[in-house]
Amino acid sequence: MAANFWTSSHYKQLLDQEEVDVVQPLDREKGITLEEFKLIKMQMASYISKLAQHVKVRQRVVATAVTYMRRFYTRKSMTEYDPHLVAPTCLYLASKAEESTVQARLLAFYIKKIYADEKYRYEVKDILEMEMKILEALNYYLVVFHPYRSLVQLLQDVGMNDMNMIPFAWGLANDTYKMDLILVHPPHLIALACIYIASVYREKDNTAWFEELRVDMNVVKNISMEILDFYENQRMITEDRINAAFSKLASKP
Amino acid sequence: MDAFEKLEKVGEGTYGKVYRAREKATGKIVALKKTRLHEDDEGVPPTTLREVSILRMLSRDPHVVRLLDVKQGQNKEGKTVLYLVFEYMDTDLKKFIRSFRQTGEIIPAKTVKSLMYQLCKGVAFCHGHGILHRDLKPHNLLMDRKTSMLKIADLGLARAFTLPIKKYTHEILTLWYRAPEVLLGSTHYSTAVDMWSVGCIFAELVTKQALFPGDSELQQLLHIFRLLGTPNEEIWPGVSALVNWHEYPQWNPQSLSSAVPNLDENGLDLLSQMLQYEPSKRISAKKAMEHPYFDDVDKNRL
Repeated sequence: MAANFWTSSHYKQLLDQEEVDVVQPLDREKGITLEEFKLIKMQMASYISKLAQHVKVRQRVVATAVTYMRRFYTRKSMTEYDPHLVAPTCLYLASKAEESTVQARLLAFYIKKIYADEKYRYEVKDILEMEMKILEALNYYLVVFHPYRSLVQLLQDVGMNDMNMIPFAWGLANDTYKMDLILVHPPHLIALACIYIASVYREKDNTAWFEELRVDMNVVKNISMEILDFYENQRMITEDRINAAFSKLASKP
Repeated sequence: MDAFEKLEKVGEGTYGKVYRAREKATGKIVALKKTRLHEDDEGVPPTTLREVSILRMLSRDPHVVRLLDVKQGQNKEGKTVLYLVFEYMDTDLKKFIRSFRQTGEIIPAKTVKSLMYQLCKGVAFCHGHGILHRDLKPHNLLMDRKTSMLKIADLGLARAFTLPIKKYTHEILTLWYRAPEVLLGSTHYSTAVDMWSVGCIFAELVTKQALFPGDSELQQLLHIFRLLGTPNEEIWPGVSALVNWHEYPQWNPQSLSSAVPNLDENGLDLLSQMLQYEPSKRISAKKAMEHPYFDDVDKNRL
């Protein structure tokens, strides 16, 4: 659902990085580090994408769902609210908010298909119960803005709207949802960061164009650096580290 | 939900009952809109979610009904119920117009003007925030009888629009207030659909009768054509390409003053701009607020 970003609740709800990077006390007690916290959220973001491919919803719905999930965990612990239930429920909720409702039983069906492991399986009833909890935690603020629309417009404006650049920049924007950027920065700045990276990658000098935009280029560059750092770090993520994080979460206190 | 004492049922909406209630802690009177869930195993109805999130976003315009809170509760059968807590308004425009129709009085021109100004202001606010209402009608316009304060309600069908505007489902508006482009099957509709409804409401305030009381889509179109003339490519380019377009009886436009007597010249001019066939030529809510008709409205007070 899109409208005017600057007057929206999304704008008012932007957080500082320090607020986003808080591991909830209950999770901390289990020894979950900030790195692991991020890792779990990243895994859940890709779980949401995977489910979304099965139930066939647009990228926008995925982006909204991931945003809900990330917002949710700035307020609630993973110990009390299992990410493997929260993630699909966020997709369920986002599908409604974005006017492309997916039936809960369809989600439950694909959850079973994706996870052979019994402990990650959830039923319709679980999803509906969690829906209420998520709504309450989000305080019913459901309108979320994304970088995609600005991205397309800006690519056109900068003259990079060709068949190579659009998917490249779009892919970058998708990858930003593996991070918490959407909770911290206005979406159009995230879009600009994607274009900035794309320009560097393409060796196209867009300095003059960026200067005309009257945006804080330091912020854009910082976001770009964060994205590049993320790609750099992603190489070091191993299956073992992911499993370690989830087994800590599953451990009994 | 112990925080509220239900006083009486005041209405039954499309997806739940509405109660007048008192907040125990403050004594404040509120409207509770109750929404049952889990009916068909699909949790919170998307319309409710949409209404809530849009109201959350439309932070505090005086002419949009204010959502005070959202509460989860349980009904007698132990099922989850959602309560939307709204500020309480004691009447709506439909009842207001009916009360005048019953006594045979006309609604004072000054009141009509004030209500129309507030309506335009509220609609301008929604449109300014990227929200189309899509179902404006007297029933959805709440009022305070004493102060004649008007607020737009029932944003259940509303949605935020993205540009380019396209492909909205068209089975939504109550027929009487439905814009001709919607009736003709246009899928590219915009803020202008709300302004058509505003125009119909304007005329109804003056005459106390619905301007175009059609009981089917075809009848609705014929009502419109009879007064405004059958449109053609000349006055509405592209009209014959709309999916529901057929050959219709040919009528010449009548003067609006014949259908809406008792409206002054400025009022008629504004009304005619709201009832333009071509959506892009229809006056916007913001422009309407600047129309000479409203020159003598106390704009600071509203």
